[in-house]
Amino acid sequence: MGEIVRYKRDVWGEEVILGVSWDLLWVVAVAVLVLLAAHAIIMAALANKKMDKPSGEGRRVLRHESIDRAFHWIMAASILVLIFTGIAPIIGLRIAWLNFHWISGLILTFVVIFHIVRSMFWQDFKSMILGPSDFGEPFDSAKKPGKYSFEQKGMHWAVTVVVLAVIVTGVLMFLQIDSPFWDRTNSMPEDQLGLIFLLHGLSTLALVALASTHIYFAVRPEKLFYTRSMFTGWISEDEMAANHDPSKWTPKEAD
Amino acid sequence: MAYMHIGKDFVPPDVPGKVTGRIKYAEDYTREGMVYARLLTSPIPHARVVGIDASAALAMDGVYGILTADDVYPDGEPNSTGLKILTNEPTLVGEPILAIAAIDEKTAETALAAIDVTFERLPFVLDPLDSLREGGANAYPGNSNTYVFRQGFATEKWSEDQVASFRAGSEPTAEAQQEWTFGDLDGAFANSAFVYETTFSTAGYPHHSMEPRSAMAYWEDGKLYLHGTSQSLTGLADDMAGIVGVPKEDFVFINVATGGGFGQRARAGSIPNMAIPAKLSQKINRPVMMRATREEEFTFGGARMGFQGWIKVGFNADGTMSATDLYIVADAGGKGGGGDASSAGDLISMLYQPEAMRFRGTNIGTNSGHRGAQRGPGQNQMSPIISPILDKAADELGISRFDIRKINTPENGDVHGPGRTQVTSAYMPEALEMARARFNWDERESTRRRQRNGSKVIGLGLGQGYHNAGRSGMDGIVTMGTDGRLRIHNGVGNLGTYSYAGTSRAAAEVLKMPWERCDVVNGRTDNHLPITSPQDGSNSTFTNTRTCYGAAQDLLAKMKEIAATDLGGEPDDYDVSDERVRRNDDESVGYTFAEVAQRAMELRGKFTGEAELPEELAEWTQISVSRLAGDWFMGVYHDPRHEGTVTGFTVTACEIELDTETGKYEILDMISIGECGTVMHPQGLKNQLVGGAVWGIGLSGYERHLYDPQNGIPASTGYWQSKVPTYLDTPETIQTGWVDLPDPENPVGVRGIGEPAMGSVSAALTAAISDAMDGHLFNTAPITADMIINQVAGISEEAVPLAQNNFRG
Amino acid sequence: MVATSNDVMPDIELYQPTDEANALALAASLGNEGWLLGGGQDTFGWLKDRNKIATAMIELTQVDAWKGIRETADGIEIGAVTTLTDIANDPLVQSRYGLLATAAGKVASPQIRNVGTLGGNLVQDARCWYYRRGLDCYRAGGNLCYADSPEGLNREHAIFGASRCVAVSPSDTAPALVALDATMVISSSSGQRTVPAQDFFVGPARDIENMTVLNDGEILTAVRIPNTWANAEFYFEKVADRNVWDFALVSIATAMKVSGGTVQDARVAAGAVECVPRRLQAVENALRGQQRSEQLADQVASIATNGAQPLNYNHFKVPLLGNLVKRAVRG
Repeated sequence: MGEIVRYKRDVWGEEVILGVSWDLLWVVAVAVLVLLAAHAIIMAALANKKMDKPSGEGRRVLRHESIDRAFHWIMAASILVLIFTGIAPIIGLRIAWLNFHWISGLILTFVVIFHIVRSMFWQDFKSMILGPSDFGEPFDSAKKPGKYSFEQKGMHWAVTVVVLAVIVTGVLMFLQIDSPFWDRTNSMPEDQLGLIFLLHGLSTLALVALASTHIYFAVRPEKLFYTRSMFTGWISEDEMAANHDPSKWTPKEAD
Repeated sequence: MAYMHIGKDFVPPDVPGKVTGRIKYAEDYTREGMVYARLLTSPIPHARVVGIDASAALAMDGVYGILTADDVYPDGEPNSTGLKILTNEPTLVGEPILAIAAIDEKTAETALAAIDVTFERLPFVLDPLDSLREGGANAYPGNSNTYVFRQGFATEKWSEDQVASFRAGSEPTAEAQQEWTFGDLDGAFANSAFVYETTFSTAGYPHHSMEPRSAMAYWEDGKLYLHGTSQSLTGLADDMAGIVGVPKEDFVFINVATGGGFGQRARAGSIPNMAIPAKLSQKINRPVMMRATREEEFTFGGARMGFQGWIKVGFNADGTMSATDLYIVADAGGKGGGGDASSAGDLISMLYQPEAMRFRGTNIGTNSGHRGAQRGPGQNQMSPIISPILDKAADELGISRFDIRKINTPENGDVHGPGRTQVTSAYMPEALEMARARFNWDERESTRRRQRNGSKVIGLGLGQGYHNAGRSGMDGIVTMGTDGRLRIHNGVGNLGTYSYAGTSRAAAEVLKMPWERCDVVNGRTDNHLPITSPQDGSNSTFTNTRTCYGAAQDLLAKMKEIAATDLGGEPDDYDVSDERVRRNDDESVGYTFAEVAQRAMELRGKFTGEAELPEELAEWTQISVSRLAGDWFMGVYHDPRHEGTVTGFTVTACEIELDTETGKYEILDMISIGECGTVMHPQGLKNQLVGGAVWGIGLSGYERHLYDPQNGIPASTGYWQSKVPTYLDTPETIQTGWVDLPDPENPVGVRGIGEPAMGSVSAALTAAISDAMDGHLFNTAPITADMIINQVAGISEEAVPLAQNNFRG
Repeated sequence: MVATSNDVMPDIELYQPTDEANALALAASLGNEGWLLGGGQDTFGWLKDRNKIATAMIELTQVDAWKGIRETADGIEIGAVTTLTDIANDPLVQSRYGLLATAAGKVASPQIRNVGTLGGNLVQDARCWYYRRGLDCYRAGGNLCYADSPEGLNREHAIFGASRCVAVSPSDTAPALVALDATMVISSSSGQRTVPAQDFFVGPARDIENMTVLNDGEILTAVRIPNTWANAEFYFEKVADRNVWDFALVSIATAMKVSGGTVQDARVAAGAVECVPRRLQAVENALRGQQRSEQLADQVASIATNGAQPLNYNHFKVPLLGNLVKRAVRG
């Protein structure tokens, strides 16, 4: 324990970066567990002071179009597969993980590219922009967000950065192995390769933390309607009214 | 001529020691207070040492000191090719950077691991053609890639197209560093009935001597005692004193036996690492043992130069070789190579006597193993390439494969090479006929050639080998004490060929001395030995029989003079027999050898080496004679130069059964015939022929020299990865024979044989493989199982043509 | 900075247990710090060159229970530290399982077979020269393969089943034992487990750093060969650059039951083409029930090489494997 970076000797005996120290995986796991448990306890203690839970009945407004829901779940599935297949050999599971890993990685890459393009031209990109005013939101209970809350925007952009880092480093690593599309080369100098492995490892650790947090909030009772909306597409007007400011977000009525 | 010793088998004096294991090699010596040195060698193919931090290592318990290039070369490293003792600009992986001395090897290793060397990495290259290409990396210091004799380091470049077209199979168009020519080349090609043109490649590979080049040194009373490993003794010690920087009279080189010497242990310049324990011992004032590892033996032990070549050969309708045009780019490795390319051309000019010939050659460095002399350097790379070409010509012209060799073969009076030098003698026709008869060549050709049995095919091959095999101009010393025993001071190294003992027998022959009454004085230079040529170039037999014979003749003349003076008559009235010098007309009048030695001791002066010495004695010999003078009845001789090229020839015939499904072949039968003048030592000759055969099989079928093109690290450092042929890869028996006709330039008619013994076998083997493959010419050596399988399956891999230090070259 | 060549044995604690329980207890307590020593042929090079480090060594060859060849109700059991020479020369093995006797007799050289053990031959590490040189490649826990590249020296490497690492299974006895449907007996201080020979070896896709299923603390103690293939028709051929002291370029081991020229059943395994001994089940299926002929040999040869993915320098292994399968079918 204690080290962040692992080193190796390059072909000529000089020390270069090998990658992240996987001891950190346990550090991240423990830290996330502790933080989320603390959050759960605090939320439970505060629960009786909370307002009533808004009703999911009644008129529905559209929160996520089906194509975006599909994107989300494909992305989620690929990230979970990537995390599992990536971590399996580290924790000693003897499975043939690599093909699943890069195939999932490619899927993730494609859907992320799709999402970026779609978000810029077909979606309300502004709804996800994190502006200075958003930072006051957590401290002012009267201030309600538009389509996405401060936490949601924060999670989105954190995931964006981390997933892009994972993808860029992952694609560079993918180029270093045999695939149906090319034969591998040793074209990348070992120190650069080590740096890519390190960044991939660090972003993986961040992704594990973010994914855990995201899943945790997704199953929290007060946020469960968001999760439902990611399956069904809609939230109720009641839920909308309780959590969002209609002047900032005017959704279509759901079918 | 009937000899008493020449042509007879005997037991060389070192044999009992070798059989019982009592003989001592450098590593077997010890000295009180001895410490152990280990080397830190370069992990990088081309680099510059920027800094060395050894403070942690030197602070360790049991560590006595460090030696770096700055210690060895305080005024900077010599600006020349060749291995340095230690270097700050390594040009190959494994080159020694520094040595550390410690109480034991383990401590030294631990200390080495604690030393921090900072390198500046420099571009490296592993294929000469890659270096020749514009923009290609250069292997040598100062961004150079070649070393031109008398000019120094230089950079040679070809255009991209010139390199590409050569790789694609065309004649190189760039100007070569070296060129020689004779005859009307264009005219001869124009008149040729058959012309064959191809590019070719041959692999370099290391010596793999059983004994690595370990050494132990200590200083005592201002003298340096160095236990080393060499194939020469005085020939090496003479230069080694200079490398260490010690006066010749204060240098004792001790080397009783050597575990293999094949070229790179002949001269001090190729084993400068022996100076490391000497210098370290001087610095820390303790005896130092430096054991070299197997890998170190590979990396700085020297290797053969690989060739990337182009050849065009023309034949007249009658099968005579009309012309040869040869262009070779030779891989000079990390430290500069030798004259292999020109020697390859010389082989063709000698063996096939073309009417016209042009040779062009260029040496280019690569950051691979150090290159230099190795058994038939140049000739033996060419042998396996040219032999199948001859067969192709024979088949095209409708001449038998035997006849095309016989028609072209050199004979007495023939000349060769750029200087059109005449041979001292050549009995190659006799050797060919002997191989033909003993091998039943004609019958095999008609009944067995290309016979098929399932996937197996019979192939027959004939090969010839040549090397110039003799020098002159060295010195001889013999002494006799009052016990009447003959002491032959022989400076020849004991490299395992027994030539140190065999050549001594020429002296015994002169004095008609029974062998058991002779002592070969050898093994260490403080035994007062004469200078000899280094034991390379197959020269020892010719060169040192001349000196031993001459020194004994001097002793004989002195015996006769003493007898005539004391007992009456003229010296010519006397001769020797039964260890007596006695009158020819009355054998009762004379002295025993003991008596004449006693008289010599009384008379002194020239008889005891104190006066009237030959004028041209080398400095080394002068020191030896001066130390013996007055204590012994002495014969001293300086050998004048001989005329002409001393030849060593071999002919090999073999039959193989090649399996087209596995690419493997079995050598069913093989015969090698030596043509080396009068045979000096039949058992020794047989050993040379058989040992050479095993290596020839390695050259044509097995051995490889691999470096990873990505990072310049060697992949074939040991016996396994180098694929040295094993017992089951060689024929069960290798028949041998010899022509045994005298050479006029040697007093007992002998010439050398070591190098061609390998070349003819490699030539016969590639010829047999091509024969079994329906005449397909691989134009490369070695030809390995994968190449045969690929050829049969019609697979052409994406490998770079003519690549060096790789699987295909 | 390290030196490129060491050739000096480091300090190491040597344990020489003579009974099974002791050896297993040592293996358990030392875990991956305890280097298991059989004949030493896959040990001393690693340690002397300090390319692998071990602080302790457990010599297994003094445990009598793990030595020798015993007849069992269902075949034979060979102790894992039995020498290859003893196996090659054993009358029982020769008469019933000639395939293994031949394969054991083709390992390396007589000197190595005299000290080398069956277990050592089976669990020996990859012979990829980059890995053996001590480079930090995938197999050594690094993040790249030096062999699988356009310029890499990969003539001896895999044509099947590579996954980042392209090293091959170097063992001569492994394909023979796969063909004989042997079972590996794995012991540890917590008990014994058995694994079919075929599943004993692991490719890089599943575990890039280990070539077998052995975990720390586990020792391969015996190999059981069932009666199923006793006295079948066997064929073993190893093609290597040299006839002594070399690893296979490709090897083939087959056991066939032939009746009246018809192949009743067959097991076929090839060595040195994949990181594990490659069982050629498609070939077995194609052989079953067929009349032995040159045509059949040609047909199954192309099945055997189906899907091969040669590297830059090992294309020859494809026809070579096909040819060896042909020869095995011809008998």
